[in-house]
Amino acid sequence: MNLYEHTIIARQDTSPSELKQLIEKYSKIVEKNDGEVVKTENWGLLNLSYLIKKNKKGSYIHFKIKGKGIVIDELEKNEAIDKKLLRYLTVRVKRFDLETRYFGKKEDSEKNESVKN
Amino acid sequence: MPKRQSGNKKNKQSNFAKLSIFQPNKYKFKRTCPLSVKGAPVVDYKNIKLLKKYVSENGKILPSRITNVSQKKQRELSLSIKRARNLALI
Repeated sequence: MNLYEHTIIARQDTSPSELKQLIEKYSKIVEKNDGEVVKTENWGLLNLSYLIKKNKKGSYIHFKIKGKGIVIDELEKNEAIDKKLLRYLTVRVKRFDLETRYFGKKEDSEKNESVKN
Repeated sequence: MPKRQSGNKKNKQSNFAKLSIFQPNKYKFKRTCPLSVKGAPVVDYKNIKLLKKYVSENGKILPSRITNVSQKKQRELSLSIKRARNLALI
């Protein structure tokens, strides 16, 4: 069993209800392949730093998945043909960092660290 | 000038390069790797604030001889910067 971080970017014009459907759809795929979604994060609508398929913004969804490699194969196969999505990225990690949140809330601890440097 | 002498010959040589007019002030005369110190922030593709410090205005990765990041951390940095680029975060 491996630990994966999986991020997808949806088009800017997807409604919140459609986003929920997307999350459900992909969590179901994970569960079908004996995987487990440890956590889902919704980073919200963020500005893209460059245009992707004429989109200026994108809704980011972040999964933390525990499972075998087949899960990721299946996920990416489905995401590649999904027209609602712009990008996806999978990263295998040694362990999950469930506490730090880089998006949404601004953290004070990070600010202090940057001052030191 | 820093008081500490790390005794690294390479560093002394590169100090001349850092005197160049083209270098911004903040990068001059830093010797230790800012990411290997205790309590240093974790290099991660989600940590955009940190990554942006090591990227030029045009979005290029800064060389480690300017930022004084250690070789190991520079590898981590470049990988996570490329991941962030793919996600259009940088």
